[in-house]
Amino acid sequence: MDPIIQINDLSVQFRTDTGITQALDGITFDVERGKVTAIVGESGSGKSVTANCVMRLIQPPGYITGGSIQCRPKANAAFDIVSLPDKDPLLYDLRGGTISMVFQEPMTALSPVLKVGNQISEAILCHRNVTKKQAWREASDMLEHVGIGDVERRMHMYPFEFSGGMRQRAVIAMALVCNPELLICDEPTTALDVTIQAEILTLIRDLQSELNNSVIFITHDLGVVAQIADYVVVMYQVRILEIGSVHDVLKDPLHPYTKGLLAAIPGTAPPGQRLQTISSVVDPKELETPYPLVTLNNGRKVSLPNNQIRKGT
Amino acid sequence: MKEVLLEVNNLHKSFEGVNAVDDVSFDLFRAETLGVVGESGSGKTTLARCILRAIDPDSGTIRFKSQNGWVDLHSLEENNFVPLRREMQMVFQDPFSSLNPRMTVRQIIEEPLVIHGEKDKTHRLQLVSQMLDRVQLAKNSLTRYPHAFSGGQRQRIGIARALVLNPSFIVCDESVSALDVSVQAQIINLLEDLQEELGLTYLFVAHDLAVVRHICDRVLVMRNGKVVERGNVEKVFSEPQENYTKLLLSAIPSPDPDIKLNPLDRKSLGLE
Repeated sequence: MDPIIQINDLSVQFRTDTGITQALDGITFDVERGKVTAIVGESGSGKSVTANCVMRLIQPPGYITGGSIQCRPKANAAFDIVSLPDKDPLLYDLRGGTISMVFQEPMTALSPVLKVGNQISEAILCHRNVTKKQAWREASDMLEHVGIGDVERRMHMYPFEFSGGMRQRAVIAMALVCNPELLICDEPTTALDVTIQAEILTLIRDLQSELNNSVIFITHDLGVVAQIADYVVVMYQVRILEIGSVHDVLKDPLHPYTKGLLAAIPGTAPPGQRLQTISSVVDPKELETPYPLVTLNNGRKVSLPNNQIRKGT
Repeated sequence: MKEVLLEVNNLHKSFEGVNAVDDVSFDLFRAETLGVVGESGSGKTTLARCILRAIDPDSGTIRFKSQNGWVDLHSLEENNFVPLRREMQMVFQDPFSSLNPRMTVRQIIEEPLVIHGEKDKTHRLQLVSQMLDRVQLAKNSLTRYPHAFSGGQRQRIGIARALVLNPSFIVCDESVSALDVSVQAQIINLLEDLQEELGLTYLFVAHDLAVVRHICDRVLVMRNGKVVERGNVEKVFSEPQENYTKLLLSAIPSPDPDIKLNPLDRKSLGLE
């Protein structure tokens, strides 16, 4: 086991006029180097907050109230992302350098008034001491690498001239251009058609096996998890309910909530029958109780009371 | 013998020379669910909007069997259309933008009744409360505003508003697409329960093929404004005839990690 990120007992609060909202409640998990770790959960489960913590993007009224995030880059010494001061140069290296991020909505991640080529070059110029010409050349190579043809012309185009799928490819190029060790993808295919989603998933999968970087992939779609990830972290209401390899968790879910999520996918129920819902599978009271995450003999982790953990595992 | 509720023939609609709906014809039977699938830009939403005359089609006929017999929707004057809108309603995609944030749930569900001339206030309240029960929302929801509700609950409010006039025909335009899978399952079950109880007919526009396969009886596959394949949903999904349908189906990621995603290539299918 060689984690690039070790999140330990991380808690986040949002403090507003109407009171304090717990956005993460003591979560602990590792992101393995060279693997894809998916975080899956419903809206409000805390998956995006987790990603934003790793990039230190939590801003008031949000505060990290406890825990640590150990970052272990290949070449440099390990450090705790949480305890870095706001203006620490390490943070600037981290954002877009060691770690970069692909967001859900490509149109909000791209500036509408700058050429695509300039936006990708900018990422290079921020982190490396190269000429503009060199940056432009590398940007153009990267754009070609993510499957965009006719790059000479496309580098000079604006995001509005790109289709949704091409925009997301451009954002991926922007994220990869500085060779990040960790790529965080926050629902990168949710806004796309299923056909374009398949293309982008294939692209991310191919690039990952080629570059051998680590990926955190956030999604609410278990179909996407099954296709892209090696490990999966199941979150529900700011806690982690289950962690394991994708094969273990999706083929043999331990937590009833994970079972419920799988059963709620249309297409698993025979035609004519009603779909299962979470509440038809899990007792809500059971779900609200924050049982500690227990590590089983086979390395899987699950948040269940002792008497419900299967014998022999 | 199945009873036809809606008959669409040779429908056309273009925007600035682009054919959004190009020669579409189909029948819709009473109490069935007809799915319309395709990528964004395939014309599925334009088709739905033409049928409800939210936009006017360029040519073609749309006939609807109302309580008072057949009417030609395509040539109807707006004034004569108003009473028909009681019988056909829409449930929208976005549970946030489709509800007025400054109206209470009671006002939102009551508004169609007011528009259609239900003057008796007590009767209106009674109908609204019944609707609230139907969509499984708590009684105390009446005086609250949309912001106090989750996405799934808001979609229930939207469904209650669509059903309060007791329509026979509902257009669901991506009505479950914005919801989490567990909430989506609840809303799909609700739509199916309501259909069974009230004998509703759905035109179900969606891009999620798994949802369509679950809820629909028949399906139209649209591409560039044209219907490229149609038929019984199980048959179309298990034995797709058209390359475009095959492309769509091959792109669905399976939740079984042993079934690897292997999307077909658009170019090699001649679909570029």
